Parts: sequence; C-alpha cells; structure tokens
Amino acid sequence: MAPGTDDGLTGFESFGSAPRPSGRSPSVVFTLYKLFLRTQVTRTRVISLTGLGVVGILVAWGLGSTLLRNPLARGTDFVNLYGLSLLVPIVVLVFASSMFGDLRDDSTLVYLWLRPVSRVTLALTAAAASLTVSWPLAVPPLVIGAWLTGGGATLVRATLLAATVVTLGYTGIFLALGLRVKRPLVWGLLYVFIWEGFIARGSFTAAKAAVRAYGSSILSDLTGRTLVLADISLTWSIVVPIAAGVIGVAYTVVRLHRQDVA
Amino acid sequence: MTRHGEASVPDPSTDAVIEVEGVSKWFKDVVAVSDITCSIGWGVTALLGPNGAGKSTLFRLLCGLTTPSHGTVRVLGGDVRRDAALTRHIGLVPQQETLFEPLSAFEFVRLAGILHRVADPGASARWALGVVELDPDDPRPLTTYSKGMRQRVKVAQALVHDPEVLFLDEPLTGLDPRQRLHMIDTIQRLGNAGKCVVVSSHVLEEVERFSARVLVIVKGRLAAEGDYHAIRDLMDDRPHRISVRTDDARGVATGLMAHSSAIGVEVIDPTSVLVETTDVHRFRHTIAAVARQCDARLFEVNPLDDDLESVFRYLVGG
Repeated sequence: MAPGTDDGLTGFESFGSAPRPSGRSPSVVFTLYKLFLRTQVTRTRVISLTGLGVVGILVAWGLGSTLLRNPLARGTDFVNLYGLSLLVPIVVLVFASSMFGDLRDDSTLVYLWLRPVSRVTLALTAAAASLTVSWPLAVPPLVIGAWLTGGGATLVRATLLAATVVTLGYTGIFLALGLRVKRPLVWGLLYVFIWEGFIARGSFTAAKAAVRAYGSSILSDLTGRTLVLADISLTWSIVVPIAAGVIGVAYTVVRLHRQDVA
Repeated sequence: MTRHGEASVPDPSTDAVIEVEGVSKWFKDVVAVSDITCSIGWGVTALLGPNGAGKSTLFRLLCGLTTPSHGTVRVLGGDVRRDAALTRHIGLVPQQETLFEPLSAFEFVRLAGILHRVADPGASARWALGVVELDPDDPRPLTTYSKGMRQRVKVAQALVHDPEVLFLDEPLTGLDPRQRLHMIDTIQRLGNAGKCVVVSSHVLEEVERFSARVLVIVKGRLAAEGDYHAIRDLMDDRPHRISVRTDDARGVATGLMAHSSAIGVEVIDPTSVLVETTDVHRFRHTIAAVARQCDARLFEVNPLDDDLESVFRYLVGG
C-alpha cells in the first residue's frame, strides 16, 4: 500500500510496512508559515529588538517629561529620527532578510525549494511570517513612544500609518535582499544608514529611492511638521512603499525561479 | 514520457529516466562540466569522479539545483527548474549537514511529507524514519543529532513521499559500519523496487556493492558510463592482472608463456604467479589447460584489477 500522494504513487511495498492514508494533510501554507517563524524568530533576535523598542519608549518618555514647547513637533521629530530611521528598518531588516537569507547561507533552502510548492507561495508566506514578527516589535513601541512624547492623537495616528506603510515596504525589499546577496544584514545596514540616512538626504531625486522619505512625508503631511525632504504627497507616500514591497516580493519569486540552490 | 505536471505519473517503462544532452556548465572562465551527454535509467547508478572533476556540479545539474550554461537536463521528461510539480517525483539527499535545527527528526520528515502533499504525512514520516532506523518519537531537536543521525534523517526526508527518482549525495558519510551496511542494503532495495537512484560517492568499495552501473566524470567530461566490468573489458591498453595460486608456480608459468593469451608472466614465489593478459576470457580457458598439462593444482585464480577501484584509477589516470 502506498503512502498516498495526491497522484497515487506507490512503492513502499518493497520496505514491508506501509503507512495508511487517513484524514486531510495539513495546510502547506500554514506549515511553511510556522516553519519560517520557528526557524527565524530566535530568542536572541526578539530580546535584542524588543530592547531597541524599549529604548525608544524610554527616550520618548524622557522627551515627554520635559517642559519643551510644541510636543507635537518634538514627537514628530522623535518618530522620524528614531522610529523611521532606526527602529523600523532595523527590525524589519533582521527578520525579512533572514527568511531566505539564512536558509540560503546554511543551504537548507533546498528543503523548501525542491518541493512541489509554488515560488509565489514560498515568497508570500515568508513575507507574512516576517510581518507577523516585525510589525509588533517595531510599530507598537513606536506608537507608544509617540503617545508618551505628548504629541497627541494626531501624532499617534500618523505614526501608526507611517510605520505600518514603511514596514510593508521594507519587508518586500529586505526579503528580496536576503535571497539576492550574501551577508544581507551588512548590505541592508548600508542601505539604511548610508543611502537613506546620508545620500538620500542630499537631494529630492535620491530621496525618491528611500523608503524612509515616504514615511517621513506621511508624518509631515498628517502632523503639519516640516521634515527634511518629506514633500511627497500623502497618496504617493502610501502607494509607493507598498508598491516597493510588492515588487520586492515579486522579485523574490523570480529569484526563487532562477537562482542556483546550494 | 514527455508530459508532466499536476496529473503526471512517471512511466516505469521509459528506459531513460534522466536525459542529459550536451550539457556544459561554466563559472566565469572555469569550465566545470563540458559537453556531457548521457542517460540514466531505472535502478542504481553511481556518479563517480575525483575531487574537482565536476562531479558535484553534474549532480546539482541533474537534480535541477543549478542551470546548465549549455544543453538540457530532463528528468522524467521534464525540466525540474521550470516545473515545480515535477519535484513530487524526486527525492534528494544533499551533501550539506545543516537541517532545520529547532525541529525534531519527526517534525522535519513530516514537514517534507506535508510539502509533498502526502495524504498522511505523520504516518509516512514514521515509516520513513523506520526505514533508516531512527525513533520517530525522539523529541530532541536536530541540533543534538550526530553526523550519522543527520545523514539518516536526510535520507528519511527524501523517502517520505515515495519518489520515483532519488538523488543521494554521499549518503554513506558519517555512518558507522553497521549503518553503512544498512544504507547500502536500503539503496539496493530502492533500486530493486524500480526506483531510479543516482548516488554520488567516493567510497568505491561500497559503491561496488550497490551498483555496477557507473558514470565517471574526469576533468569535467564523461570518461565512461555503463557497467564497470564492461568498461574494464573495453580497456584494451590496460592488461588485466591476474594472480594464480598453485602448487607448481614455475610449471604453470612456463606453460602460460607458451600461450599468446598471456602477455606477461612473473613467478612471485613457489606457489603464486602474476599474469598479465589482454583477453581474460581466453586466459580462463588457457589456465585450466596449462594446469592439466603440467599436472599442477590450481588453488585460486584472482583478477587483481577489475574491481571498481581499479577501473576508476585507470579512468582518472591515477
């Protein structure tokens, strides 16, 4: 009796015992999702990145406790400088780039790749797993921080929207980066700190290729606070990062089709 | 079989399961595999080659892990890289040791079963782990497993969906002597069960026990393919060396020198003679006649260089 693949293959007879088909096979998507979380969400990563969020909350609390004027402005600056420039990209980079990057580096990707699972399913599941862990570690601490600065409901709403949108954008980009390059963390950090933090701040054109600029524009638009190179309209500030995330996932699918697997 | 996909089922009557047509693979200026054409049928085939010969690259090309720079590789009539559904019929034991470390052996093998859409992945995982003599109820994570146990887990995950085609890259690595015997037996049984099993290995004396059919890669080219006994017979430029043990070595040696079937005869000691011949079949008839003529008793006639290791050594020029 065969173990019962969908297409009815047989052959276990030569080994005597035979498993009997029974019940429904678990969902491939849910199984992959759990696998990505279990292998990539390590205690070290969660503790260290939670610590980064806690530091942000403490800084925001400190800012909120001072008697400076215009709490909305200082809160917006805090969210822009700490949240969108450091906390969100770092948290997303660590998880999104590791989803395929770690599997590629330790050659375990073959255990997912040489299976009858569509590349689209693989990429989307990895992106979902990354979002599942990176959003709670990045966005709620930042929203709490925004509230603690005294910026009020306006800043909280702006922070929630801006951080969520850039999280979506970074997820797709860093997911693809993890599959595309060796040492994706290094390349990701170079992108975040050198490109977004330095080069993109030099011109409006370069800023268009920085996810952070779109998040800053959302913040600026909703709070009314003028931020450096944050002059993109609200609609485009929402659409472009999400589109970048989708393109990143699509590129990941293409790479999964074409890339050599160790 | 030319069509595959969701509803495809491999046709066991097809002779060539894997077809390699003019395949070359180069990495920048380095040619790893050069213009290889061959086919692999049902049963066990060993892929052999010295280090750096391109064996690993060809192995990766066969199972679709890398694309040829030129030529085509077809498994069950399809291209593994273009048709993920085809992987339903393929099992791979890769060389690297790393597994999904937080998982137990059962979870890891069951995962493979789920991804292959086996109807009862739990039962299949238990069965596959049983085949390699591992305990499916062992709760320990794979990170605690020894090299040999990892090797067996890798084999179990390749078997869990009962594939038609199996690629085993150095499957005997890390196994203790008893497990090696068990693995060799498993490979033989898979071949006998009608699977197409491609084994890449450098342990020639063990390869010899599960496969007579070999593909030998030397300097990126296919040096030989087929039954290694037949390959040995075709090596006209390499005389066969045969050891003869008898109670009258000198008499037998003298008798053999009178026959053209032996091109070299050397008396090693009073009871043994070393003979070189280019025609083994004729020599077998001659030696019996010579022994009768000189009234000598033959204790043993032992070919020294028609084992796989000798054939391999000759082919790679060692």
